[in-house]
Amino acid sequence: MLKNILDKSRQVVFPVARTLTRSSVHGNVVNESPAAVATPAGTKTPLILPQNYGEYAPVSRNTPRQAWIENTDAVQERKVGLIELHPDVFAAQPRVDIIQENVEWQRKYRYVSFAQTKTRAEVRGGGRKPWPQKGMGRARHGSIRSPLFKGGGVVHGPRSPTTHFYMLPFYKRVLGLTSTLSVKLAQDDLHIIENVDIPTKDGQFLKDLIAERNWGPSVLIVDEDHMFPANICQATDELGYVNLMPSFGLNVYSMLKHDTLVLTVAAVKHLEQRLLYQLNRSDAASKGGKFKLDQV
Amino acid sequence: MAASGKALLGSSLCQKLTQFTRNLYSQPALLSSFRSSRQVQELEKYPEVEVVANPPEWRFVERLLPPETVPQPVAQKDYPSGWRPQTEDGSKAGYYVARTKNHMVPVYLQTRFRGQRRITVVRRVQGDIWALEKDLRSAVEKSRNGKLCATRVNELSGQIHIHGDHVDVLRDYLKERGF
Repeated sequence: MLKNILDKSRQVVFPVARTLTRSSVHGNVVNESPAAVATPAGTKTPLILPQNYGEYAPVSRNTPRQAWIENTDAVQERKVGLIELHPDVFAAQPRVDIIQENVEWQRKYRYVSFAQTKTRAEVRGGGRKPWPQKGMGRARHGSIRSPLFKGGGVVHGPRSPTTHFYMLPFYKRVLGLTSTLSVKLAQDDLHIIENVDIPTKDGQFLKDLIAERNWGPSVLIVDEDHMFPANICQATDELGYVNLMPSFGLNVYSMLKHDTLVLTVAAVKHLEQRLLYQLNRSDAASKGGKFKLDQV
Repeated sequence: MAASGKALLGSSLCQKLTQFTRNLYSQPALLSSFRSSRQVQELEKYPEVEVVANPPEWRFVERLLPPETVPQPVAQKDYPSGWRPQTEDGSKAGYYVARTKNHMVPVYLQTRFRGQRRITVVRRVQGDIWALEKDLRSAVEKSRNGKLCATRVNELSGQIHIHGDHVDVLRDYLKERGF
């Protein structure tokens, strides 16, 4: 039945999509199109967004995933429409090994170890020969801070600061994103919302919404634009377990850190477009090789 | 200071000095080098230039730019390189070997221990990887007159490792099968 809906609605999609795209930019401003005013509430045309495979033919033989688009204007869940997700991004092979490598990389590349020990030169004292070389019947020693001595220096101890910076190969980072998105979708931890325009700045609204829809406990809300509307900013400000992120900042670690990933339709489109471009770009070889610090 | 410097630059004395220093070099000036180039003139002496946004000739420039993504191959009867387009979608065989983004068959050779260990790797396998492994092994064993060959299957990452260098055999086999 869904397929029928999709096939029938391919013609009407694009005007709908155009009205949808960036309503959240305007924040609280309600701009109702004349068509929406004319139809009574509740009988709105559903938002059906089929995938355009003309640009990037799917490599994955998995069936394309479909996901409900949910509303955010009320606590009660309402299906606003249906979106078809590209199988190369949302039905990719769940490479848990690559996901793990991504998480390890994200932990390590910003970690600087400040563990520090003193060598024999840095330990106070020890400049004098403790006893003569010969004639005492004792072992020969030149310093009481030698590593053989109690309270002496440490050989090959940790030296501060030690950076653990490295770069994961580019396509491992791309595959990490597609794998994690696919895993999140398969585990029913990925939800797609119409936009991030919530009606109130009260945090309780979001709490109720999350409890009602069985999201969470922790929720990561991702939109394409980095400027979120004022309401959702104020509502999530007090809630430590609900976080906002632009889609260009989406990463494996954050997706796994939060239980539920909530994407807006615009964010889904942006992620699909960027990831499919990376998977199909003609100059992919330029992304290989050693990481250079000055890349500009 | 700056004004006087500009006046000095513009003066004929300065130009003569520059000519003199350029002539000082015993080596003849190469074509299109700094020393052989003409000095920058006043802006009025150059022809008028109109800046146009999106001119119709821009498509000729676009034709020279490389495509952003790998284009689809042009359909031909046969290709002189021996390359073949993918025809199979895996519904019949139960497994599927996806082409790379450059439309090549993903069979590679991995060498380790200074080339002493050669392993053929078939990547991007989807579906029943064990059935494919059986078929690939029989193809390799047929090419070696029935001599056994060792394989390893990584189902998680969709890869099959085959002991020895059988890249050409397996590429041809997969292309023959339509993958």
